[in-house]
Amino acid sequence: MSVLASEWVKIRSIRSGYVSIGAGLAALAVGALIAWSAIAMYDTATPSMRRSASIAEVEEVVVMLPQLSMGILGVLTWVSDRVLRTSLTLVPRRLPVLTAKAVVVAALGLAVGVVTVFGTFFLVHLMLDGRYPVATFAERWPTLAVTGLSVMVYALLGLGLGAVLRRTGAAVAVLAGLVYVLPMLFNQLPAPWNERVNSVMIAALPRQISGASLENSVFGDILPPVVAALVLAAYAVVPLLAGAWLLRRRDA
Amino acid sequence: MCGTGPRAQPGGVIELRNLTKRYGDTLAVDDLSFRVEPGRVTGFLGPNGAGKSTTMRMVLGLDTPTSGEALVDGGRYVDLPRPLTRVGALLDAGAVHLGRSAYNHLLALALSNDLPETRVAEVLEQVGLAGVARRKAGGFSLGMKQRLGIAAALLGDPGVLMFDEPVNGLDPDGVRWIRHLMRGLAGEGRTILLSSHLMSEMALTADHIVIVGRGRLVVQATVSELTERYPSLEEAYLELTAASLEYGANR
Amino acid sequence: MRAALSAEWVKMRSVPATAQAVGVATLTIVLGLVWTLYVADVAEDRGRAVSAMAPELGFLPLVQISMAVLGVLAITPEYAGGQIRSTLAAVPSRGRLVLAKAVAVGGVTLATGTVVILATYTVGRVLAGDGLVDYRSDGLHTVAGPVLSVAVLALAGLGLGLATRSTAGGIVTVAGLLFVLPGIAAYLPEPWNERLSAVLIRDLTSAVGGDGTLPPWAAVLALLAYAVIPLAAGHHLMRRRDV
Repeated sequence: MSVLASEWVKIRSIRSGYVSIGAGLAALAVGALIAWSAIAMYDTATPSMRRSASIAEVEEVVVMLPQLSMGILGVLTWVSDRVLRTSLTLVPRRLPVLTAKAVVVAALGLAVGVVTVFGTFFLVHLMLDGRYPVATFAERWPTLAVTGLSVMVYALLGLGLGAVLRRTGAAVAVLAGLVYVLPMLFNQLPAPWNERVNSVMIAALPRQISGASLENSVFGDILPPVVAALVLAAYAVVPLLAGAWLLRRRDA
Repeated sequence: MCGTGPRAQPGGVIELRNLTKRYGDTLAVDDLSFRVEPGRVTGFLGPNGAGKSTTMRMVLGLDTPTSGEALVDGGRYVDLPRPLTRVGALLDAGAVHLGRSAYNHLLALALSNDLPETRVAEVLEQVGLAGVARRKAGGFSLGMKQRLGIAAALLGDPGVLMFDEPVNGLDPDGVRWIRHLMRGLAGEGRTILLSSHLMSEMALTADHIVIVGRGRLVVQATVSELTERYPSLEEAYLELTAASLEYGANR
Repeated sequence: MRAALSAEWVKMRSVPATAQAVGVATLTIVLGLVWTLYVADVAEDRGRAVSAMAPELGFLPLVQISMAVLGVLAITPEYAGGQIRSTLAAVPSRGRLVLAKAVAVGGVTLATGTVVILATYTVGRVLAGDGLVDYRSDGLHTVAGPVLSVAVLALAGLGLGLATRSTAGGIVTVAGLLFVLPGIAAYLPEPWNERLSAVLIRDLTSAVGGDGTLPPWAAVLALLAYAVIPLAAGHHLMRRRDV
């Protein structure tokens, strides 16, 4: 418990902690911006254009910001912990240090994820005020919940990559590669391989878990919800386990 | 001592004129004026947070003074064309890229000032790091990093040298080596500004002492003047800085 | 200037990160080779021409992000470790230092980008051989945009690294520029989605070769702005801040 408190103090006492959380919450502002420009367009449109007007799921676009920023926070929690060596001396069994960081980072990721995703949904709904045909909360909440939860997975993935690679540059580059570059590369694979491989990419998983469609995206949706949930969990757990294993083996 | 390097340059003068640095509400350096003359070791003393490192950073143009000036031979450091040939400094021994070898660290610095590559091997030899030149600086002990920092300061064979706490992490052998190095450099006519908290060592190394407290000048005198008036340099330091702290608190 | 430049070159070649980043970029040639063999095989099986993405364009993001990371890492570790103080004591002119770093980063990444992209192009065309593989590319002149974009991203990375003084901050900002912004732009309502997309790096890269909203000359200028603006901002902040 004291390890946990100490890790929390570390995060809230570094600048990058606030920057990451702030960048994540900026998703609300971007969501509002998209809604505002959509409203401006709607209000100047002709009635026939209005009937065919549609707007995409803004929450799932802007969630990229908290996903990335909390992933980075996860990396930094490990890599830029200047007193890591001291912490490992104070807690000689080492694993509690990683566990405590994981708990803190997961809690922050979940909080920021839920706030931005649900916040954006309600904000956009209020702003649009019935202008566009949008799905109701009852229809959308499963996808929203899983999307919010996914931010926590990104944060834990970042922490795991940080613990394995121990270099900010390497960990952040691998995180960006995993999230952005690989889906673009795999999308070029010949069918059906592009769809198969891009079904297990991390960004494809939330919608597969909630059973929503992934048409018109580079991602595939061939996984049943349970499998998709397991794969999402693996993104959080596997790097962390690898980090834990290396932590026990390597010199600090 | 520097017989293998380029011809030793005559020392220069470091001159601070009403130097002031303010961080928010705190005055780190407060209207500080003094001169550091060639041919002797000037000890720069003061409690932690007295503004010694900030002063040295302002001499090097790393921090901008809020007001006043820090001059080297009457000019600003940032206007020197090949600064390493005029001023050498060890500020922070940790200031190396951990993945780069000692040799390449010094080589990059040498090339940036048009110094010949042969100087790198010479200074590595001089500080006793020739055997580990190709090893990554990340694996160095604090003492080895100090020696690497001193090598960087000596690289351009400068007339003015500033050392911030150079004996940190050195073994007794290294401490004695630093003392001889400082004395030797001053004996060649160079200007040496040396900060340290080790009073007994300072009494053996320095000729002249400048004491600051809370960013202000407390006293400047020769070591012999201070040891005549007080039982030891340490006693002098403690008494003088205690007074300065009270003065500061009553302001 | 020549002195500052040779110092920066020594710094770049003496850290493992440079070789690692160039290594990742070079992987593109291998990916292009495997891809070409695969497509040629499919075409042979079907006995007719197959349209496929050109490997030097499809795998470009790998070159872009690795060189952008190289650009960030040319400066941020100096701040993390305090080495920047030694650097600035040796080269007190901030302008000269930024210029030297920019030339070193620009040179290395332009060379890497040119070699990797041309090699991938050539491997793709030579191995595809007998005309059954039809790459979606208008020919050799379309590689100019990708090559330019690689150096531009590296310089943007350097500028953002100077501005943020943080490895994570620099890489994330440049990754955001490259990957997140196009995603957000696509979701803006018309005509803003197209207007914004037209000036984002991805569209500018193809516009240089004539396939975009902007004319080639404007696309080149806009791409250069992606390098110059972050560098100017980084230089400005560096002059203003204490180290």
